[in-house]
Amino acid sequence: MIMLRDIRKVYTSASEEVVALKNISLHVKVGEFCVLKGASGSGKSTVLSLIAGLSKPSSGEVMVDGKQISKLPDTFSAHFRRRNIGFIFQKYHLIPTLSVKDNIIVPLIPENLPLAQIEQRVQNVMEKFSIAHKATSMVKYLSGGEQQRVAIARALVNHPKIILADEPTANLDATLSMELMTIFEMLKNEGVSIIVATHDPLFFDLACVDSIKEMKNGEIVS
Amino acid sequence: MKNKINLFLVEYAINALVRRGGKHFFIGFIFTFLIFLLSSTLFISDAIKLELGSALHALPEITLQRFVAGKQSDVPIQRVDALLDIEGVKSAIPRVWGYYYFKPAGVNFSVIGMDAFSRQYTQTLQTIVDGIDMKALEKENGMIVGEGVKKILGANYYQDFFNFVTSDGQWKKVFIAGTFNASISLEANDMILLPKKIAYEIFGMDTTRATDIVVSVSNPKEISMVVNKINLLYPDMRTITKDDIRVSYQNIFDYKSGFFLSLFMVCAFTFFIIVYDKLSGLSSEEKKEIGILKAVGWSMDDIIKEKFYESFILSLGAFMLGICFSLFFVYGLQAPLLRDIFMGYSNLKPSFNLPFSVDGGMLCLLFLLSVPIYIGATLIPTWRASILDADEVMR
Repeated sequence: MIMLRDIRKVYTSASEEVVALKNISLHVKVGEFCVLKGASGSGKSTVLSLIAGLSKPSSGEVMVDGKQISKLPDTFSAHFRRRNIGFIFQKYHLIPTLSVKDNIIVPLIPENLPLAQIEQRVQNVMEKFSIAHKATSMVKYLSGGEQQRVAIARALVNHPKIILADEPTANLDATLSMELMTIFEMLKNEGVSIIVATHDPLFFDLACVDSIKEMKNGEIVS
Repeated sequence: MKNKINLFLVEYAINALVRRGGKHFFIGFIFTFLIFLLSSTLFISDAIKLELGSALHALPEITLQRFVAGKQSDVPIQRVDALLDIEGVKSAIPRVWGYYYFKPAGVNFSVIGMDAFSRQYTQTLQTIVDGIDMKALEKENGMIVGEGVKKILGANYYQDFFNFVTSDGQWKKVFIAGTFNASISLEANDMILLPKKIAYEIFGMDTTRATDIVVSVSNPKEISMVVNKINLLYPDMRTITKDDIRVSYQNIFDYKSGFFLSLFMVCAFTFFIIVYDKLSGLSSEEKKEIGILKAVGWSMDDIIKEKFYESFILSLGAFMLGICFSLFFVYGLQAPLLRDIFMGYSNLKPSFNLPFSVDGGMLCLLFLLSVPIYIGATLIPTWRASILDADEVMR
């Protein structure tokens, strides 16, 4: 269960203060597929960032699985993120000079698991997302769709309970977008909670989507 | 389990070094070169100190030279008896010796006249003389030379003999009867030992005179008192104690060290430029990578550990490489170029092998002033980047 209560987020720079979120509250149940829609700058990405513990709220509480993630010390928050959350970034945020396989391994490194187990997990996700044949290729030489799949594989390699996806179809064509929908549907069926921040209408009519929240100027309006 | 080294993290660190190979190669190269330069200087300096220490140990306690009109002059041998009468004097040995300039090689040899029955003033000489039939040597017109001398003469076509030019301009052919390998190479490498009779001939000296007299005392604490007595007895004689020579050698050495101090400063300056560059921050690519690692679940601890391994492998590798190159350069190749700067008096002393001497303390100091500083300079900006929110670092 994910719960955001009275969240306010202010970005401060030397010259100005930008209020990204204005006292929003959100509740996503276990296994729920939630879509956050809204124009650019409405605060969708900030919500995902707070749920993942990538940034801290200026005020309010972020509870994930009963833990107040915004208050956890760095080591615990990193551990929690690694075990529970898979984040698919809009710009993929892969390490360009690493191979497909090495990028997918990255979240497993701090776990210090036995090599055989790591190999097995990585092989499984690579096969699941049809990128096993590109295992040794540098990600910088892959197409946008392939990079997207590597990013998804990396997000799922630790078997997270929650998937957060920020504009996942922004760089994909229609076919690849549909492919991604299928993946999300598959994950939802496996009991994974999914929150997608998007303004792509493709998501709005999906049968597997449980709730759609609209954001505007840092507030949830519907 | 928690304390076990995470080998995947180490592998990631090695991979990161390879991925940014150009930059790391450059830093590694500069680091290795600086360590090589500094440790070579240390090794040479230690070796020479060791060599000088041994040579100084073998020096006589007091050397007496006679000065006439400000110039060094021969000493009448009968003064030896008067010296032996001074209380506290254990022995007084007249020496017949001098430098012989060998023009083709531009070096000076130390020519020492010996006789069969005199006691020698150093253990090294005594050992050498004990093994020689001095009478036969005199009869054969022979000499015994140090290995350095043999090498230099041999390189100039004097395999079996050498023609000395005497003080009256005549040739004096002396045969090489043998070589000696003295334990103290700096002292013995440039030596030519020959019968006193031949030495007198080469230097054009009267046989009632000596070049100088070396005096030993029964109690080393009485050296200054004996020196005072000698000065009163013979005001025309200059007394040089072992300590005076030590100070003189030390001055030469300190002068050379001053030169190397400036070299050290240049090295330190270069090293601190690298450190400053590291401290001034990470590249945007490195910062972004830290953000990504945090986003996928690495803790600050994991990131700092990985950067520690990265900088440790690079700096320790460069340090070890620098030390190995330097050991090979100094002891394997005998430090070409650098050695000449240190051994400014090579005109007087033909080359000798640098004895193996490594000052562990200085090596530790060099390690502490390089590796941990570099690691620190890498970790500080990493820590600065990793305490920020991942979201902020990735932007």
